[in-house]
Amino acid sequence: MKILLLGMSHRSAPVEVREQFAVEDHTAALRKLADQEEIGEAVLVSTCNRVEVVVTTRQPEAARHVLHRFFHVELGGDTPIAGGGHLDDHVYEYRDQDAVSHVFRVASAIDSMVVGEPQILGQMKDAYRLARECGTCGPLLSRLFQRAFATAKRVKNETRISHRPVSVARVAVDLARQIFENLADKRALMIGAGEMIEMALFALQREGLGERRIVNRTPARAEALADRYRGSAHGIGEIAELLLTTDIVLSCIAGDQPVLTSGQLEVALRARRGRPIFLIDMGVPRNIDPAINDLDNAYLYDIDDLQEVASTNEEERRRESLAGERIVLEEQERFAGWLVALQAVPTIKHLLARAEKIRTTELERSVSRLGLDGAQREGVEALTRAIVNKLLHPPLARLGAQTDREEGLAVLEEARALFALDDPNAPGAEVDVLLAEVERRAGTFVAPPGSDPEEQS
Amino acid sequence: MIELQQTAAAIYLAAGVGALMGITLPSVRASRGAVWGLALGALVQAAALATLHRQDPVPSLTSLPLAVSFMVWVAILFLLAFMWRVRLTGLAAVAGPVAFLAVFLASLSVPSEGTSSIGSTGPMPHAHVLLSSAGLGLLGVSGIAGVFFLLEHRRIKRKRLVSRGFRLPSLEALDRVNVTALAVGFPLLTLGVITGSAWLLSVEGIVWSGSEHETWTLIAWGIYAGLAVARFFGHQGARQAAASAVAGFAFLLFAVVGVELLA
Repeated sequence: MKILLLGMSHRSAPVEVREQFAVEDHTAALRKLADQEEIGEAVLVSTCNRVEVVVTTRQPEAARHVLHRFFHVELGGDTPIAGGGHLDDHVYEYRDQDAVSHVFRVASAIDSMVVGEPQILGQMKDAYRLARECGTCGPLLSRLFQRAFATAKRVKNETRISHRPVSVARVAVDLARQIFENLADKRALMIGAGEMIEMALFALQREGLGERRIVNRTPARAEALADRYRGSAHGIGEIAELLLTTDIVLSCIAGDQPVLTSGQLEVALRARRGRPIFLIDMGVPRNIDPAINDLDNAYLYDIDDLQEVASTNEEERRRESLAGERIVLEEQERFAGWLVALQAVPTIKHLLARAEKIRTTELERSVSRLGLDGAQREGVEALTRAIVNKLLHPPLARLGAQTDREEGLAVLEEARALFALDDPNAPGAEVDVLLAEVERRAGTFVAPPGSDPEEQS
Repeated sequence: MIELQQTAAAIYLAAGVGALMGITLPSVRASRGAVWGLALGALVQAAALATLHRQDPVPSLTSLPLAVSFMVWVAILFLLAFMWRVRLTGLAAVAGPVAFLAVFLASLSVPSEGTSSIGSTGPMPHAHVLLSSAGLGLLGVSGIAGVFFLLEHRRIKRKRLVSRGFRLPSLEALDRVNVTALAVGFPLLTLGVITGSAWLLSVEGIVWSGSEHETWTLIAWGIYAGLAVARFFGHQGARQAAASAVAGFAFLLFAVVGVELLA
């Protein structure tokens, strides 16, 4: 069984193309894909930055065409690619170990637009769960995704890939934690009620911020935001009074005049009796007088400062991703070992079936020729079974013990050649057809190396 | 007793190295190990102090090495008590090596014979040494927290990036250590000064001899009284309080230890 992956991400396609291939109904798309004869197991991963399909197949070339058609027709609606060009220009394709490595890298957020971001792991877990519910994820992809999640955990724990915040909102919160030990007893004043403020508010709330006050020129928007985040809405004229009891100020409001001047804060700081205040100005043009940073007990960061911290942190994450790549490689090798062990199972079954066929054929022939009675026949049967078992035990044990990919594949090929398992004219080969049919019905057949009909042709 | 003191010193050093590893790697396990190391060091040092009376001859509690050793012990206990609730592991990277130096050097110079042995002159000398050393220990912690506060304040003001691994405790945590150490340390120092006078009264019949040690200590106490008033009644800001704590402790160290050594 081969693993095949076809995908499109921020690395291969611009946003207008990715938008075209956004998955609306994951369940329907997945079922449609799994219904194809060429596809064994299937998992569909769809996020705002990537759409990927991972499948297992015994006919890689045919499955490849199915996946391309699936992308073009089912996901893309059979419409021309935005900005011209062809689908092939925007998709990437990985097979077997390359596909395994890619899935591990994606789960570990090494391949993400923001390296180390935590969302992708949850999105991949959702995709895996959906595939399990739809019955399109079998033992091979289950194992692949379980190992991917374990790899992601190792990368997160053993590297600093996700240590430093990279979004402006998270950077602001991180800076606040350098000034204040505990945010639970702190009060934050939000000046503005736009998207940036909401993101920062969300990040602060996650850190357990105590009290939220929202000030905006349009009171209705302040009230709406206050309702969503269980805060209080205030008029813009109340800023001076609110400053007396506020610890963190976040500002992002339109206007060419500062809403907070150095003089205003100086008065407030005197009344605050030395309690520090942290101010984050995310507005352009700036909402808070930069001279405030010169005041004692006031710490001011503007959007450029936050961006600079975010960029440096992102660079640090990229450096850490190199350590993550090493972990991915280790896990990929481990998975390859498991795959070899899995591939040994059909070879072992095949060898046992052939031996049994030869034994029973020869036994029948001898029994009729020698004219044995019931007891004698049982004795000979036990004798032949014992001989076959003892002869096959060493090679079967060796096949089952292989976990190294290269060596394991070599041993498998050697065993198949030595016992002529791929020769349809060899003694006992009559059983092959029956065996293949049984395993096909069971749906867990993993073709041994070299037995792929497409590869053979 | 000397062996126990040196063992405690070695454990403090190991704890300091562990804390440094904890913040540079960064490793939570190393940081936690450092805190437990400090606790173990304090326990061993407590055993050393508790077995003082078994020595023959019993060393003088009023000797400078023993007083320094006790001062460090109190400071470490105070820090450990704070570490239960506040993220202060970074301070262990400084506290460990400082404690090692103080306790190890003290162990080398522990006098073999006391000039005023325990029990020979009543409880006042003990009370004076223990209270003054405890006060000095706490004000020392306040000074170290002040240094850290000023470094961190400067970094945040100048918007200099710092690796998450190298991060110091938050300004709020450092300020809390500073204010608590002052709130507890200053009264202990005050009691130390009072019991010192009482000791003098019991021995020489006077409360003030005019020695250099007394004069400088009283000046230092006056400075700390001013700092305490500014902090608790004048609503002094955290940065000014940190700077005051550093300057105050430097002066106090000179007044109590420096003058003694120079004499």
